[in-house]
Order: sequence, then C-alpha cells, then structure tokens
Amino acid sequence: MSIQTENMKEIFGKIDDLKAVFKVGERILPILTSLIDFMGEIIPLLENINTSISDSTNQMPKVSNQINNVTSATELATTEILDLVDEISNELNDIEQAITKILELNQTRDDKFNEIIKHVEKNDKVIELLNEYKTISTYDDTFNIVREVLAKISNDAFKITMSLQVQDITSQQLSAVNHLIESVNTRLTGLVKEIDSSDLKKEFGSMKWEDSESTHFDGNASYIDREHKQQEVDQIISDQKQVASQEEIDKLFS
Amino acid sequence: MKKVILIADDSPTIRKFVAFSLTMQGFEVVAAKDGMEAIEQLPAKKIDLIITDLNMPNLDGFELIKSIRQNQDYVELPIIILSSLAGSEEIEKGMSCGANSYLVKPFDPKRIQYEVAKYLN
Repeated sequence: MSIQTENMKEIFGKIDDLKAVFKVGERILPILTSLIDFMGEIIPLLENINTSISDSTNQMPKVSNQINNVTSATELATTEILDLVDEISNELNDIEQAITKILELNQTRDDKFNEIIKHVEKNDKVIELLNEYKTISTYDDTFNIVREVLAKISNDAFKITMSLQVQDITSQQLSAVNHLIESVNTRLTGLVKEIDSSDLKKEFGSMKWEDSESTHFDGNASYIDREHKQQEVDQIISDQKQVASQEEIDKLFS
Repeated sequence: MKKVILIADDSPTIRKFVAFSLTMQGFEVVAAKDGMEAIEQLPAKKIDLIITDLNMPNLDGFELIKSIRQNQDYVELPIIILSSLAGSEEIEKGMSCGANSYLVKPFDPKRIQYEVAKYLN
C-alpha cells in the first residue's frame, strides 16, 4: 500500500471521528441551548438579587440609626415626664405642708376661742354667736378630705414613674435588635462582596454606623411579670446563702 | 446630715427614677453614667451606699464592685445591684464580687427604699 493510500485512510478515520463528535454535538446542542437560555434567564435574576441585597444592606444603617433616634427621643420624653412628676410631687408636698400648718393654726384658733368664751361667760348671746362662728370657720374635715386626695395623687404620680421604667426595658430590647441588624448586615456585606466588590466599596464606604460598642443591653430584658422576676432573684440569693451556711456548718464539724 | 447614695447606670431614665424614689425618702442621690465615672466620684464625696447596674460602658458593674472592694476604705460600703439580668449566673457573680443585695429591673420603688433603709437606717 502506498503512503498516499495510508494517509487517505487516516483522513477518513479522522472524518469518522469528527462525524461521531458532530453526532454527540447534535445530541448535546439542545441541552447546551437550554443551559444557555437558563443562564440568560438566571443572570438578570442574580443581578436583581444582588441589587436587592445591596439595597437592603444599604438601608440597614439607616434603620439602625432610626432605632437609635427613637430610643433617644423616648429617653428624652421619659426624662421630661419624670422631671414633671418630680415637680408635681414637690408641689403636692408643699400643699400638704401648708394644710398641716393650717390645721395647726386652727388648733391655736380653737384654744383662743375657748379663752374668749371663758371671759364672756355672762353673755349667753355672745357665747352662742362665738360658737356659731367657730363652727362655720372650721374646715378640718374638708382639709382632711383634701389631704386624702393629695395622698392619692401623690401615689398615682409615683405609679406613673414606675411605669416609665418600660422605657429602659424597651431601649435595651431595641439595642438588641440593632445588634442583630448589624450582624445581618455584616453577613450580607460579605455575601455580596464576592459578586461586585467595586460597587460595594463605593456604597458601603459612605455609610456610617453609630458606635454599637457604646450601647450595652440585655436582650432578654422584659417589663412583664416583674414581681415574679424579683421573687426568682430573691430565691436564688436565699439558696446561695443557705449553701454558704451549710459550708460553715461543715467547717465546724471538720 | 443627709445620707448620700451613688447610682451608677447608663440609662438616664433609671438614674432619674432611682433619684426620684430615694430623694423623697430624705436621701441625697448623686449619679454616674458608668462604672468609671462612679469610681471617679467616690473620693469626691462621702458615699454611704452604691446602687449599680451591671451592663455599662467603659467599666461594667462587676468590675466596679470588684474595684471598690479592693479598696480598704470601701470594704464595708453597702452595694446594691440593680440590673435587668436575672440569671442565676449573673446573680452569683454579682454577689461573689461583693454586692450586698440584688434587685431586678423594672423595680418596685418600695423595694429599693426598703433595701436602702436596711443598710442606712
């Protein structure tokens, strides 16, 4: 066999191989087309997700700052209310003291009346008029009613201040939420950084978080069931004290 | 002469409320916004009792109590913890640091008045 014939055989062999490749290609082509179509659909979707995450992440510091603003505003309002309640309590105290003074003066007045009556024993009409005047000008019962009302107002004012402690609890809860937002933001930032770091640098470089290290909170702080909570604490302390005294007893016998 | 109580808490509301509850009982109340400020205030005035929060910036309540107890002048100074933390771990830690009482937030003013009276009257 000549070299040309061998070459031709080799060429035909290669052509057969190519045919096989084309046949496989024919089968793969629709799959590849579907895959490309799918990619074509998924890429805008991924871009949308990326944009959404970027937008959401961008909003987080604003949300966090808003929460801090709410905390500051409620803190300021609560402090102002407490100041006013404090003033009211002081004024109620002043009124109470004034009433006490009036009642003391009434007692002095009664003593003086009794002295006057002694000096006008012979004049029944004058005595009668003086007694009438004394009865008319005695407001002790009224003052005692006013005193009771004042005590109630004072007590109610005290209860208002007690309820205002809810501000401290909610501020701690809001700080916990803020902390959570910051954690989510950090995770999302890390996630989108891989997709488009240049845009993120631009976006996140300009954003400012308030210093989270300066806020200290108890995320489990609760305003509900406060009496029960103190009872639990008392029980724990009481148990600890019992353990200590047992140790002391053991020491005595060792 | 009025007995002086130092309240250390980063919440202005709580500082105000404690002051409100105790001044009406005839005590003088001075306030510090964290443990560090409380330490600074101690030598400036004769303090008869301390009420402290646990979660505070700069110096927390545990460190404040420890630091006070290390000073021989304040070994006997009554310290009341006032915190929203109510777990047995925190209570145990607080008491072992040297606190005398542990009150939980939100607190009943009558209870704090009672605790203060226990040490000062």
